[in-house]
Amino acid sequence: MKRLVAALLFFAAAAAHAQYPQRPVQLIVPWGAGGGTDATARIIASLLERELKQPINVVNRTGGSGVVGHQAIASSPADGYTLGMITVEITMMHWVGLTPLTYKDYTPVGLVNADPAGIHVRVDSPYKSTKDLIAAIKATPGKMKASGTGQGGIWHLAIAGLLKDQGVEPTALPWVPSNGAAPGLQDLVAGGVDVVPCSIPEARSMIDAGKVRALAIMDANPPALYPGVPTLRKELGTDWAIAAWRVIAAPKGIPADVHKTLVNALKKVYDSKDYKDFMASRGFGVLWADPEGTAKFMAKSDSDLGAALKAVGLAK
Amino acid sequence: MTGTVLAQALSQLFDAYVLWVILGSAVFGLFVGAVPGLTATMATALLVPVTFFMPPVPAIASIVTATAMAIFAGDIPSCLLRMPGTPASAAYTDEAYAMTKKGQGELALGAGLVFSVIGGLFGTAVLIAAAPALAEIALRFSSFEYFWLVVLGLASAVFLALANPLKGIVSLLAGLLVASVGLDNPAGFPRFTFGNAELAGGLTLIPIMIGMFAVSEIIRNVATIDQPWEMAQTRIGNVFNGMWQLTRRYWLSILRGSALGTAIGALPGAGADIAAWMSYAMSKRFSKEPQKFGTGHVEGIIEAGASNNSALAGAWIPALVFGIPGDSITAIVIGVLYIKGLNPGPTIFMNNAVAIYAIFMVFILANLLMLPLGWAAIKGAKQMLRAPRCVLMPAILLFCVVGSFAINNSIFGVTLMLVFGVIGYVMEENGFPIAPAILGMVLGGMLEENFISSMIKADGRLLAFFERPIAGGLGALALAVLCFPLIRRALRY
Amino acid sequence: MKVNDAVTGVALLALAAVLLWHIQGFPEMPGQKFGPAWFPGLIAIGLGVCGARLVYAGARRRGPWMTLPEWAHGGRPLAAVASVLGGLGFYIIAADTLGFHFTALMLMALWTRLMGASWRIVVPVAVLAPIVIHLAFYKLLRIPLPWGVLERFAF
Repeated sequence: MKRLVAALLFFAAAAAHAQYPQRPVQLIVPWGAGGGTDATARIIASLLERELKQPINVVNRTGGSGVVGHQAIASSPADGYTLGMITVEITMMHWVGLTPLTYKDYTPVGLVNADPAGIHVRVDSPYKSTKDLIAAIKATPGKMKASGTGQGGIWHLAIAGLLKDQGVEPTALPWVPSNGAAPGLQDLVAGGVDVVPCSIPEARSMIDAGKVRALAIMDANPPALYPGVPTLRKELGTDWAIAAWRVIAAPKGIPADVHKTLVNALKKVYDSKDYKDFMASRGFGVLWADPEGTAKFMAKSDSDLGAALKAVGLAK
Repeated sequence: MTGTVLAQALSQLFDAYVLWVILGSAVFGLFVGAVPGLTATMATALLVPVTFFMPPVPAIASIVTATAMAIFAGDIPSCLLRMPGTPASAAYTDEAYAMTKKGQGELALGAGLVFSVIGGLFGTAVLIAAAPALAEIALRFSSFEYFWLVVLGLASAVFLALANPLKGIVSLLAGLLVASVGLDNPAGFPRFTFGNAELAGGLTLIPIMIGMFAVSEIIRNVATIDQPWEMAQTRIGNVFNGMWQLTRRYWLSILRGSALGTAIGALPGAGADIAAWMSYAMSKRFSKEPQKFGTGHVEGIIEAGASNNSALAGAWIPALVFGIPGDSITAIVIGVLYIKGLNPGPTIFMNNAVAIYAIFMVFILANLLMLPLGWAAIKGAKQMLRAPRCVLMPAILLFCVVGSFAINNSIFGVTLMLVFGVIGYVMEENGFPIAPAILGMVLGGMLEENFISSMIKADGRLLAFFERPIAGGLGALALAVLCFPLIRRALRY
Repeated sequence: MKVNDAVTGVALLALAAVLLWHIQGFPEMPGQKFGPAWFPGLIAIGLGVCGARLVYAGARRRGPWMTLPEWAHGGRPLAAVASVLGGLGFYIIAADTLGFHFTALMLMALWTRLMGASWRIVVPVAVLAPIVIHLAFYKLLRIPLPWGVLERFAF
């Protein structure tokens, strides 16, 4: 028995000194299997596996509009064996009072993707440009409806913020809460709502099927998938921009050497052809920032979105 | 479709590598489906990283095969142990288990297997023949139509609990109440969470289902540990016996179940679970012997078993034609389609004809493969029942624990399972049926969401629920179904 | 545990009242007419109506308010039921710190033994079951079962 204990202690000591990672790593995704976040996390996990030489297990912790998963990432042990993909909602939820968590509760590893909002209408819609659309919303407040995510979600904020920016009351376009972009687009085509301000890749299949028309993109550059879709600067002369982004992060306070290993591995993954090909095939945007850059990026997103949420009356 | 396309598709399919992938995925799907807590959706998500490194046809084939097997395999523990392997089996779990207790387990499992295959083939045939047209119709469903569809689904609870409708309604309301816990409501307001992050995520269906069905059954079983075990089902006969007679006798049920399943599957947002519930209720409603339902009668299993597998193929209709997922499985599939360059859209049938026809053939092959593999799985599973009760019960409990944990990777799932296991036990002791509560949980979120969405769109006018043509028809049907028992009662007195 | 319908009915009425009181605190949805209180409110009303009808039905059919089931009188059945409920409770509390493997081993030993298995069956089953589940769930399905005290030896 004593020998066994001694042997166990020896292994324990040996394990503690060995190089990270020694065992499988979990990657928590706060959104359901099948969505864009899940797909991105899964490709990153399978590529990260090659770099770290350990299995990376993707774990979906869904529910509560992302609160549950974000909470799970933040409260995991900070040993590098639990990572997470945090999304733009982390800079929105605390403004609305859904959770006390903010982006400061994580150690960023790297920004890997950003998808700007678009403006989509039915293909037989009488509105051919953003200008027409906004004029119509202004002329008949409350008549047209928009959908594409939950109440106070990123796309709700995108369109509400744009209306505010254009001097139209956000309440002139009532929001119909939906369970994501796909049900919203379905409702758009079914004639239930009039506008869906989701990202371009989310609307892609409907655009290709000739059911939906993209009027504009809320970004500085036209989308790679459809270079013909104009920017808001060109359409309305405004610089209003908003995007959903995804960041790989660890719980706050992971050891510096572990963090360094992770950053290097993630950078390699981001630079790989496999990752770029995957993101291009899905039409997802790629955007990289190192940990410091990511922290700055999230801080800016946090203050911008906070201001926008207050301006449109979604946050107190 | 020209002959060369067919020939090319066939040669893509009958390739040694593809066939091995299909066989491997089939075994994997059977395993995942048979373990409670692991769903067909989960099987798909687990396959995705593997498919990254495969050519398009085997990649899609692996998903098609695994999910078809998983939905059927859910029937096995459901029938033998009263433990639905997937939510799609929950509708007729009690019926199948009652049959096993009566010594008709073979018939229940055989019916589950054979009519799953027929349902799956029916759904596939519709997918091949009419996908673009049906997808157009599915896209006309807005929240008004869904609202009435959910009401129709809830009305089936009335038929599920004919013995004591009052207690059935209490059970249904309790299920709806459970569904309203958490943040996932149109307002995004944390209801009944008391500041707890786990509760904010809502009460997950799967652990609750395992608790209410399986744990309550285990409690009942070990409470009679001093008495000999009544599971007299030791003879392992041929599960295919009597299937031909059943097909001839219930051909209308099979057709109705497959058609309804395909239609529900094709509707985005409603999948195999809801299809199985509605088909089971429909079967009882139109049966010549509705009094036999719930006592171990095969009719409902035939219709609902065909329905949930046909829904699986139906869900591919909007997914392939418009890239709009028909259920949670196809939501993942759409991503895989893009990665493999098979971009969904009406043109997919022209641009990628060979691959699409190869995929159609995979559907057919997977469903046919279900016959031998399902037969083997049933045979293997039945060996389990030979294990002594003192080993079997603890082993099932341990599987319940891991299954409840697996769905969210959270110990909270095990807590839910325990709490609802006790609740389920007490409910059944007092004559409150469990099935309506599960139905309430499945449909609660959809009911509220679609009602609120519709009211926002209509600016609060209730008449708008009847203004759109499909909504009006469904609404009238729902009201008729709901009022039917009242009218009949009024006429009787 | 059989409870008289009248008692269940009273409990449902009480639940309905508590629900209706609790949802008064739910906020309006900004800019929308139907808030989060609407749906639970409707359910509460339904539960209240059903509760009242159960009280009526239960009061007419007289009987004891509550009867304990046979197994609760003691002996092996009581021990078995208690071990199932207590064991699951123990798992919930202990699994994260102790780890899946140890907890499962202990529970399997407890359950199989209490349900009447001989030690010659108890030991192999209790040892093999966690290993089989580990291989199937952790290795094949990649479900992160908690390691607990075995964290360092995770593989």
